This record gives sequence, C-alpha cells and structure tokens, in this order.
Amino acid sequence: MSNDSDFLPLGVLQEQILVAVLRTREDAYGMNVRREIERVTDRSLAIGAVYATLDRLEEKGLLLSNRYTVDGTSRRMFEVTAEGARALADTRAMRERLWSGVDMRRLMKLAGG
Amino acid sequence: MTTIPKSDTPPPLPLLLLGRLLPRAEREEVLSDVRAEYATMAKNLGVAQANSWLWQQAVGSAPSLMKWSSWRSISGFEPRANNYSPGGPMLKNVFADIRYAARRLLARPSYSLLAIVTLALGIGGTAAVYGVARPLMFDALPFANEKDVVTFSFSGSWTEQEFAYLRGKIPGYRLAGTYRPNDVTLREGDAPARMLPSISMSSELFDVLGARPMLGNNLKAGDDAVGADPVAILSYGLWRELGANPSIVGTRITLDGQPRTVVGVMPRGFWYPTPRVRVWLPQPINPEGQNGSYTLVARIAPGEDINNMTARSHQLEKILKERFTYSHDWDKTVNLQAQPVREYLLGDLRPAIAATFVAMGLILLIACTNVAALMLGQVEGRASELAVRAALGASRRRLTQPLIVEALLIGVVAGTVGALLAAAGFGTLVRALPLGAWSESASFDWTLFVAAMLFSMVAMLLVVLIPSSSLFRRDHANLQGVLSNARTGGVRGGGVRIERGLVIAEVALAMLIASGAALLVRSVTNLYAIDPGIDTRGVAVIDAVVSGDVKPEARDAAFNEILLTLSRFPGVQSTALAMRIPLRGNSNSFAITIEGAEQLERSTTFFRAVSADYFKTMGMKLKSGRLFIQDEKSDSGEVAVVINELLAQKYFSGQDPIGRRIGGGFHLPQRIIGVVNDVTEGALLDGKKPARYFLNSQFWFMSGVSFVVKTNRPRDAEALLDPARASINRIAPSFAVQRTTTMERVFDGAVGPARQIMLLLTILSGLALLLGAVGIYGVISHFATRRKRDWAIRVALGLTSQRVVTNIVGQGATLIIAGVVVGAALTMLFSKMLASLLFGVTGLDPLAFLGASAAVLTAGLIAAFVPARRAGTVDPAIVLREQ
Repeated sequence: MSNDSDFLPLGVLQEQILVAVLRTREDAYGMNVRREIERVTDRSLAIGAVYATLDRLEEKGLLLSNRYTVDGTSRRMFEVTAEGARALADTRAMRERLWSGVDMRRLMKLAGG
Repeated sequence: MTTIPKSDTPPPLPLLLLGRLLPRAEREEVLSDVRAEYATMAKNLGVAQANSWLWQQAVGSAPSLMKWSSWRSISGFEPRANNYSPGGPMLKNVFADIRYAARRLLARPSYSLLAIVTLALGIGGTAAVYGVARPLMFDALPFANEKDVVTFSFSGSWTEQEFAYLRGKIPGYRLAGTYRPNDVTLREGDAPARMLPSISMSSELFDVLGARPMLGNNLKAGDDAVGADPVAILSYGLWRELGANPSIVGTRITLDGQPRTVVGVMPRGFWYPTPRVRVWLPQPINPEGQNGSYTLVARIAPGEDINNMTARSHQLEKILKERFTYSHDWDKTVNLQAQPVREYLLGDLRPAIAATFVAMGLILLIACTNVAALMLGQVEGRASELAVRAALGASRRRLTQPLIVEALLIGVVAGTVGALLAAAGFGTLVRALPLGAWSESASFDWTLFVAAMLFSMVAMLLVVLIPSSSLFRRDHANLQGVLSNARTGGVRGGGVRIERGLVIAEVALAMLIASGAALLVRSVTNLYAIDPGIDTRGVAVIDAVVSGDVKPEARDAAFNEILLTLSRFPGVQSTALAMRIPLRGNSNSFAITIEGAEQLERSTTFFRAVSADYFKTMGMKLKSGRLFIQDEKSDSGEVAVVINELLAQKYFSGQDPIGRRIGGGFHLPQRIIGVVNDVTEGALLDGKKPARYFLNSQFWFMSGVSFVVKTNRPRDAEALLDPARASINRIAPSFAVQRTTTMERVFDGAVGPARQIMLLLTILSGLALLLGAVGIYGVISHFATRRKRDWAIRVALGLTSQRVVTNIVGQGATLIIAGVVVGAALTMLFSKMLASLLFGVTGLDPLAFLGASAAVLTAGLIAAFVPARRAGTVDPAIVLREQ
C-alpha cells in the first residue's frame, strides 16, 4: 500500500473519517467521529455511512479497532495504523502537488466574479 | 449505560429500523450512542428537531448499512474488535459457513459424493412415486362431492332389466345411473377406423356424478329410451382432436357407422370411469334386457349417512328379491354393499402404489441414516477441534450452524440431483407400475421438483439432529476429557453407540424391503405356477373392434381374409379368432339347459365363439369327440358346440356327453361334438369353470374380436404384431385395431399388479442392500481405524491377523443380526399392507424371511469384511510409529 505505484488516493469521506479519528484521539468511536465531522464541515452525516466506511478502512488495514468498556458501555474504538497514516500523508501530498500549480489569485477572482 | 430521562425517549420506529440493519455485534452500542445523541439534541434544540434528526439518520443510513452488511457477508470481513465478542451478523456467518461447508465438501469428495448420491436416489425415487401417487391417491376425483357417490358391488354386474326396475326407487339414494364399457369405432374420411374407448350410459350418470359439460348439455331423460335419437358427449381430448370447434354441439359424428349428434363436450380434466374414455353415449335401456355388464352408481340422498348405509342395502336386497330370483353364484340379494366410488375406481391400485411409496420412503430413510452416520463420523473426527472451540467460548448455535449449513448444502445438491433423477426415471416408473388407464393421469410437473426439495430439506434437518446432538453430550463440556481422549484417537462411548444404532436401523429397513420383495417373489411364483390350460408361448394377439354397421357377410369375409393373411407371416403355425380370449376376467356367461335332464337351479357357463383352429392355436387338448371343421353344417336347425371337461363333469357326470343337446343363451339347440381340457377363461384366480365354445360362423356377433396367431418362436410373435396391425387396417378399414400383444403378456396381466410391484421391490431391495452395505462399510472401517493402535499392539504381542479380521467382522455381524431381527419384526407388522398382493403365501412366510435374511447377511458381511481385512493386514510397526 505504501508503495507509490499501487497507492490509491482516499475518497473524501474516507479521508474525513481518518482525519476525524486522528482528531478525536482517545475517544474515536463511531458516533463521536460522526459528531466531529459534522462539527467541522457543518454538514449532517448518516451514522450508517460512518460505520460502513470505518469498517472498510479497517478491512484495508488503515484503521484498527479494539473494544473497550467505558462506564459500563462497550465501545469499538478506532486508531489509525501506520499504513493509514501513510495513506493520509500520501493523499495530502498528492493534493498539495495538485494545488501547487494553481494560481490562487485567479481562482479567487473566478469564484468572486 | 447512560440513563435517559423519560421525556427524551426517542421514537421507537427509526431505532428499530437502525437496529435491524446494524450488525448484531455492534447493534447495542451504536443504538445507545444514538439514544444519547438524541437526548442531547432534544435538550438543546427541542424534541421536534431531535425527532427529525433521528429519522434522517435512520433513513439516510439505510442504503449504506445494507451495502455494508452485504459487503461484510461477501468479503467475510470481521473487525478485530469483534474477535472475542460472540454473535456477529447471522447472515455473515451463514455465508461464511456456506463457503466453509462447500470447501469441506470439496475437500472430501468421496464423503460428499456418497452422501449426495445416496440421498439423491432416495429423494428422486420418492418424488417420482409421489408424482405417480398424487393424482390417484391425493387429488380429488373430477366430480362433485365424490364422498357421496357409491357403486353397488358384488361378484357380478347389473342388467338393463334390473336397472330399469330399480330406477328411481333405490332407498336412501337421490339418483342412480348405470353404464357399461362399449368401445366404438370412429371413421374420419378414408382413414382406417379408429377405436375410441367409450361408455354407454343411462341418461342420469353425469347428474349422479355432479359433472357438467363445458359446452352443450348433459343427456336428457329419454335420451336412453329404446329408439331415441342417437347422441354423444365428447371428452375434452376428443373434442381437441376433432378440431376444437367451439360450435361442435349440434353437429354429427359417425361412431360405429352410425351418425350421432354431439350434445356436449366435457371439461378438461374430467374422466369417468377411467382417463382413457373418449366418448360417452346414451345406452338404450331395454326394460327386459338381460345383458349383464353394467355398473350401478348412485348418489346418496340428503340426510343419509354415507358410513351407515347397511340398513339401506338390506332394503335394496328386499326390493330385488321381490322381482328376481338368483342362482347361488350370482345372488345380488346377499351381502349387497355400497362401495365409495373412489375405492371402486382406484381401490385395486392403492396397495400397489402404497407399497411402492413405502418402499421408496424406506430407501430415503436408509439414505438419511447413511448420511447421518457419515456426518456423525465427521463430527467425531473433529471432536477435539470442537471441544477447543467450545472451551474458548463458541456458542452452541455457532457450533451447530456449520453442521446445519453443511447438511442443507448436501440437501440442496441432492434435491436437485434427485429431481433430475425423478425426471429421468418418471416414464420408466409409470410403465413399471400397474397403472393401466391411469398412467395417463400421472404427469411430471414442477410440483415434483418442489416435492423433491421439500423431502430433501426435511430429510437433512432430521439427519443433522443426530450429529448435532452428539455435539452436546456432557463430555464435550470437559475439554480436558476430550483432549485426553483425542490422544487415543478420540474413542468415546456415545458416538459409537449412536453409530451402531444407525447401522442396526439401516439393516432393519433394508431387511423390511427385502422381505417385502421376497414375499412378492414367492407370491408371483405361485401365480405363475397356475396352469391356465393353454400354451401361451409364441402366441400373438391382435384385438380389434368391428364397426356395428358392417354386414355379417362382409365381416366374415374380412375375418377369413385376415386369418389367411396372418397365416402367411414367417414362422406362423396356425391362426384363429375368438370373441374373447382366456385370462382377461369374467364376462360372457349364459344360462345353460340340458335336453333330457330336469332343469336344476339357474346356472351359467362361460360362452365363447371361436374359429375352427382356435384350440390348436391356443394349445388346448381334445379329450373326446372331435373339434370344429371349417364349414360346420347347421342345416339341421342346430349348432355344434365344444364343451370343457368341467362342464362335462358337472352336467353329464358318468355319461358320455358327445352327441347330447344343450340349450341356453342361443336360440338354436346345441349339439355337443367334443370335449376339450379346462382353461382359465376368466380371471387367473377365479380358476377354471364350465365353458362352451361355438364356431364363430354359427354365432351371433359381438363387436370385439381377438385374432390369435401361434408362431414357432416367441420372437416371431413379437415381430408380426406391427405388420399384422397394418394388414388388418388395409384389409378391413372398418375394423379398428385396439391393441396388439402376446399371450404371454396377457398372462402377465392376469398375474396382476403383484408382478410389477415385485419387480420394483426387487430393484428397490437391491438398492437398499447396497445402501445398507455402504453404511456398514463406513461404520466398520471407522471402528477399525479408531482401534488401529489397539490392534497393532495386540498383533505385536502375537495375535494373528486372522483373529483381527474375525473380531472386526464379528462386530459387524452382531450389528447385522440385530438389524435383521428388528427388520423381521417390522416386516411382520407391515406385511398386512401387502396382503392384497399376496397369493399362496402368508405375511409370515418363513422361506421369504430366510431368503431376505440371507441376502441382507451376505451383503452386510461382505461390507464388513473389506475394512476388516485391511485392518488385519496392517503392519503393527508402521501403526505404532505413526502414533
């Protein structure tokens, strides 16, 4: 996966969820991840989509889940794996490469006018 | 868990929806998070906002959740966090188990193949027999309230005179009708005449049955008066053949050379009294008519109890007695019984079909037992693995589910193969069963596939009970116990006991089928041992119906030409014709009077018209006097008659009958010219009865005729059937050839359903023995393998390998003998079912039991010997090193 040749850029939701898992740190369970994304993006997000994507990411090896019991409630907590971190970094690097050739002033002008 | 104030309880429906869609392992925690979120929202933004959020969540999550669960089940992904939490999604486990089961089955091809083939044979056979049995035993008859319709039965038939007398006054019955079979010929254009199975009936018959035509009307009262306009009602099939003309009612068709107006067409699926009948005609009822071949059918009056008609029957006997006097043999006033119409029409078939059905069911049961034993062996082999899984917390369900899935997978495959087998073997089965006219009602359709699948699923669910119950015996809970057992090859008492029980059951079932077959073999041998008094070898039989409009001279000329043509076929020794040939059941009996002797009670004799060479052709022997000559003179106002020995003994005991004159059934006196040996003229079991033979050219004519041709070899007889049919069609287009057969086949037919059921049961018992042997083989080799180490030690200590073999075979023999004993006991219970098919043997025939036991024992011992021999030839050094 880490190999450049078979690196596949993450989808938007996948990227958002991985980042949200990083941001929520010790509290990265499904509902909290959803809340974090909603809070930042100000868009409503279905919990089902969050869980489905979390599962996909774990299957790809980008996330890892463990079960912890907090206050009597069992929760599946996620953490980003080394591979997940690399995927995020790669995605970000790719985006920066993309953006680096864009004239920001022209973009703002287009958007404004 | 967070406590939620009561006012913040979320609406249950969206939660339910979410819960349904979430994987089981994570359902509770996600839902409790959703509830907590809802509570927060309700507090901050109000209940309405929170509700709308919850609905959005539930509905918006549905697509991704559905995709998610199907993805999980396809990919088999299980999150690490769930590794030790039981109850992942059920569906997921099922898919995984199917994959697992398929892999296991593919990895053990001999086990899978054996299980599937065994089961498929049982299922295919059962489904096919079910297909045959369904229309006959389970489907309703094609008329209204069949339970209210009866026939009046006794050893004989009714006459027109009796019916005309009884019409409208049978006590306890609303309506009665009568009918007789009366095949007619149909001619269309220049084509040769065609025989149509037909019924002549009184006008009430269809009203009694409660059947209405699809087009046109039923017969009207008066249609059956002597001299009424001839009409006809067609079957759906005949109507289709004639062009399916919707306005056929009112047109005319020519039957037996007589134009008849079509008044009705019966609906599709209607039949009476057999599916073979194509046309129904009114029978002119002559109030003095003596022709006695009628069946009386009646529908009970409202308020009468069909199960309690004995008193009514006695009343009817009394009414008959007022008018008629009967001879002892034909007395209708004794023991007159109303028989339900279903029993009358289908009763004879029932024991045959039931026996086949039961035998097939037993095969299926043996197959199930076999598969259960096989699966049990598999489970026992995995005892340690399963114990470890159970100890690590695998739930009961989680351990049984793969077994059930494996069983169902075998079931689906076996069901499919079985359905294909049923489809392939259906035609053969229909031909093999003694169905007669009902073979047309047996149809192969999709319900058989459904039935096969159902049988298969039920069978496998029963099968899986046995190994899965063995999973939960006490010692499985005890990991240490199992693991220490595992070190010695996993030998445990319980599994062995069940396995042995299964083998005993299997042997018992095989014994049941084999002894049923043996009883029938004995019975059929007895039937074939009956001497019919004729030589059936190499005699071809061609049955024809002569159209009623053919003039006697033309008819006799055609007869002669046909006989001449038939005599020119290769290998033909002699040819003859007869109005009725032996072994085809009762009929054509007439009263007899003896000139010069005082008339005793009214008594009847069989009455046959034959051509001159008939006796020679049938291999009958002249006992005294002479046989017919070709042109017997009848100018003296009398006809020649040949009688049989029984007639001579009965009416001329101690006297010489030659030259004496008799009368009855014929307007002319009859001069006895010869005596021949007795022949079974009626049904095989009715034995031999007094009979008279007339020369056909001196006899009034009946419409049916059988040409008989004696050939040198049976092969010649078979070979001439088709050309003979063609010749008759060419020479006499107004004759319809009804059927071609041989005298040997007529005899087979007279032996009856027992013969065909015997063949079928013999094949089935072969199958049962094979399956039983496979089961014994499996269990004994399993036993030998498990004890390999014991044997090796003993052989190393000096036990001869011969003793090893004897010991293992002895184990097998114990089981087989136990099975034989149980099977014999079962046979005694079940042999009543076969009673109506048995002749000359009781259900407890020792010879049949001995034969069946010998067959079962031989097959079983061979099956036990193979693994025993293998165990005996093993080198102890190798075995002990392996362990």
